[in-house]
Amino acid sequence: MNRKTFLTGSLALLAASGALPAFAGEFPATVQQPVTISYYNYNLASAGNGAEATKRMIAAFEKANPNIKVEGVGASSADITSRIQADVAAGRIPDVVQMVFSDLNFTVDNLGAVALEGTVPEAELKQHFEGITPNGLRLGVINGKTYGLAYTFSTPVLFYNANLFKQAGLDPDKPPKTWAEVKQAALAIVDKTKAEGIATGIFGPSAGDWLFQGVLRSNGGGLMSEDRRQLAFAQPASVEAVTMLRDLYDSGAYTNLELQAAMEGMASGNVGMYLQTSAIQGFLVKGAEGKFDLRATTMPRFGDKPQRPNNSGSALVILSRDPLKQRAAWELMKFMTSKEAYTVITSEIGYLPLRTDIVDDPKYLGDWVKKHPLIKPNLEQLAILERWEAFPGSNYRQIQKIMMEGTEMAVFGGMDPAKAMGAAQDNAQPLMPK
Amino acid sequence: MTTDALYAPARSHVAPRNRARGKAGIRWNTAAGHVVMVVLSIICLFPVYWMIVSSFRPANAIFETTLWPSAASLDNYVHALKAIPIGTMLLNTFLVSAIVTVVQLFTGLLAAYAFARWRFPFDKAIYTLIALTWLVPFQVVMIPNYRLVADLGLLDSLAALILPHFAGALAVLMLAQAMRSFPTEVIEAARMDGAKSWRILWEVMAPNLRGTIASLAILLFISTWNEYFWPLLLSRTPESSVVQIGIQMFITSEGTAWGPLMAASTLASLPILLIYVVLQRQVIQSFMKSGIR
Amino acid sequence: MTDAALSQPLPARAVAVPSRRTNLRHLAPWLYLAPAAITLIIWIYWPLIDAFRLSFYEWNMLPTSPMRFVGWQNYANIFALPKFWQALSNTLVYVIGLLPLAVLIPLGIAIYTHDLPARSRNVYRAIIFMPMIIAPVVAAAIWRWLLDPGHGMVNEAISLFGYRPVRFLQDPKVAIWTIIGLTGWKLIGFSTLIFSAANANINPSLIEAARMDGASRWQIIRDIRLPLLRSTILFLTLMTILLGAQWSFSYVHVLTGGGPLGATTNIFYILWDFGFSTMSVGWSSAAAVILFLGFGAVAFILFRLMDRYSFHDN
Repeated sequence: MNRKTFLTGSLALLAASGALPAFAGEFPATVQQPVTISYYNYNLASAGNGAEATKRMIAAFEKANPNIKVEGVGASSADITSRIQADVAAGRIPDVVQMVFSDLNFTVDNLGAVALEGTVPEAELKQHFEGITPNGLRLGVINGKTYGLAYTFSTPVLFYNANLFKQAGLDPDKPPKTWAEVKQAALAIVDKTKAEGIATGIFGPSAGDWLFQGVLRSNGGGLMSEDRRQLAFAQPASVEAVTMLRDLYDSGAYTNLELQAAMEGMASGNVGMYLQTSAIQGFLVKGAEGKFDLRATTMPRFGDKPQRPNNSGSALVILSRDPLKQRAAWELMKFMTSKEAYTVITSEIGYLPLRTDIVDDPKYLGDWVKKHPLIKPNLEQLAILERWEAFPGSNYRQIQKIMMEGTEMAVFGGMDPAKAMGAAQDNAQPLMPK
Repeated sequence: MTTDALYAPARSHVAPRNRARGKAGIRWNTAAGHVVMVVLSIICLFPVYWMIVSSFRPANAIFETTLWPSAASLDNYVHALKAIPIGTMLLNTFLVSAIVTVVQLFTGLLAAYAFARWRFPFDKAIYTLIALTWLVPFQVVMIPNYRLVADLGLLDSLAALILPHFAGALAVLMLAQAMRSFPTEVIEAARMDGAKSWRILWEVMAPNLRGTIASLAILLFISTWNEYFWPLLLSRTPESSVVQIGIQMFITSEGTAWGPLMAASTLASLPILLIYVVLQRQVIQSFMKSGIR
Repeated sequence: MTDAALSQPLPARAVAVPSRRTNLRHLAPWLYLAPAAITLIIWIYWPLIDAFRLSFYEWNMLPTSPMRFVGWQNYANIFALPKFWQALSNTLVYVIGLLPLAVLIPLGIAIYTHDLPARSRNVYRAIIFMPMIIAPVVAAAIWRWLLDPGHGMVNEAISLFGYRPVRFLQDPKVAIWTIIGLTGWKLIGFSTLIFSAANANINPSLIEAARMDGASRWQIIRDIRLPLLRSTILFLTLMTILLGAQWSFSYVHVLTGGGPLGATTNIFYILWDFGFSTMSVGWSSAAAVILFLGFGAVAFILFRLMDRYSFHDN
């Protein structure tokens, strides 16, 4: 007897039977009968524009699809995967989820994510994919199948305070493009003003490794071998990238502020440059308004090597097992990745449009983009966007943590970069699937 | 009163108020005592003050570092009230806290009575096991309990927030301690009088434990009101959640909305702050009387 | 009611207990115990026992994925992590750092303010109890703001004196003490109140007698008050040692996430990290078992010590 049966007996409550009902039937062409689907979304867990816009989009969807009711469930971006996992474990499988990209692999391997190919009729898929940037589409493809459609995603941009640039004798029209230039500019700001040089969102509990991956990759480094069996973040090119960050920190150009402090420092004009996801643009703009000239440029590169940023953010994934619900979920997914939805997502929540054709279209984002030039470097990088890799296996998060802790020790903790990365790699290798 | 009479030998002393304070040394000591206490009071009060003051600062002056805001506005409150259903959340929080407090006192009294009144096999071991639950961190039991709640179909209900708190070690131990110092003659006498154990508990013991029960109730209410991690795991929609979750919604990885956050925090703290200010004397008194051991 | 019942003269004769009630009498304590016991078993002990079992498996809790028996592997993995040892030694720092704030200073305040006039004493006590009623999440948010190196009031005050801003939460050397300070801030009023209560319960005639004998203030404290407060001191010390690191969890979670460089992580945070954010039930269960047994052993030793050294004044 376990706790469950014990309690169900004693409290005479109807518990979920635990057995999954067998779903008969095909993926229907339309939703003809009333159905309720659950939609796990992290914007709903905040109190701000994101939640407002999301609620509005859900309402609009329900109006357009009177048979479908959407139960929005909010969980913060840091907790949403655990939450979904807990609910799957408890036998309450969510229907549509907003999944952070780094957990996409896990979702496919363990949570039963539904591949769109083979579920949705091919013609319909093709029609919907039209106009979506191929780079964006690729982000949701695993083992040749599309499991997720990029929903709220963004790229790393270098925000900078043009007023501080001027005070430091720098030309705000020529922002630094390489890490060497970043160092120079940051040192000039530290020297001539009271502000900090540069802060980044590379480290911190909620950062994961998304920004760090871009830095490694830009220097030709990487996380693991091609066959995804051997960890390789201690390879020379990766260590070199880490050494660059270490040098930036040692020189006094780079300040180690945690997420909130860095954001608020940048927003209040106390930090010269800030490398972070474009998603925080709205927050920075609000802080800068009427106080200083906030600008943005692309992620810095290493010398002549091209920068290779990867995305942050989330994709929409269907977990539902029931064909009717899958159809309803697909309708929701289509709606949330439509031109209209991307206009809202970009202009109100602050992410990137997966459909680039709406950028210049005055019907959608045309006017807004003209008024908000900050989005430009973000759009530029969309063309060169790479995938946010995840470690394989069920220990992927621990491996990521061990790697980031090793990197932190190398950059801020005074440990030798090669040694720190090597030790982290040795510690993490046994956690890789054998 | 019964309590005082019973506890007379240990507790009847009221510190002589106007003891001769002729000596200069004592006066100096008193002054230094005041200085220490004033400094400490400032440290304890300032963050609360800052929360309330900042909740009235307009958005463009939120990072002002003046002690008194240069301009006041209710914008943050308007924003906070619009962004989260704070009224519903406060009501939920109140219901959960009140029910948990009452039920935990009830189960605590029953269990404590069992220990105080009878010797039975394994009583010491069971007592220790109850005390040991203190050492089980909630991080351990959270996920399994989440699955249980889900299995019972209680997700998204206030019952899920309440059920796991039907009993707590603190209540059992505190009440058992208090009952132990209760004179056995009185119980014996009542029993001789033909009173059943149930009546002895509620008509003899409980009324005499008023002080302990009051301070325990306050502790339980405060800690349930302020609970965060369990509700966070359970929260699905703001309407069915508690106010601490609402507060947390203003802190996101895309930036903290300080003004509305402070406004929501003030609103969330207000009820409990008010209860405290009104009952402050009784709260302190009951703590002084019962003395947690 | 009660008062009336008690004031009635009690009959002196003994009532013979009917024998048919014997069964019920044996059962009675168990019935009284049942509600609390069942609750604690279901919501605490059952998951804990389950954790013992799961600590030998690799599993992510999903019905679809297999549970793999791995023996002591999860324990080995945890002990091999440098982070675990850092968390363990930090836990010790938390406990040692909290002892003055949760025991020594409140004890001093309680004794020191005992002679203050009753009215101001009550006002002070009411005020220092205040942090206790502020929710940890709210307290953490406010303190983060006050301590911010750029626009926090505390650093404004520090720079008034001409010092550089202190990076309370960013400097690995300072951060843990900041968290300890915040945890202490929340506790100090509560501890003071408990000490004040115990102190007030000391029979004043003892003090008066000593004073007659010409004992100095300090002698009275050392020879009468402290020995009589011993069991309270031991109790709070015990609580701090066993639960101090747990109390700081909210602040670590909200303010630092265990950083910078793992400087503020502790054993409870690690447990959270393994169990919740990585959802690996084997790791978190193994960590939980280590933690429970570790603190259980500490508790056992402390209780033995307490039994030997404390005495009850009533």
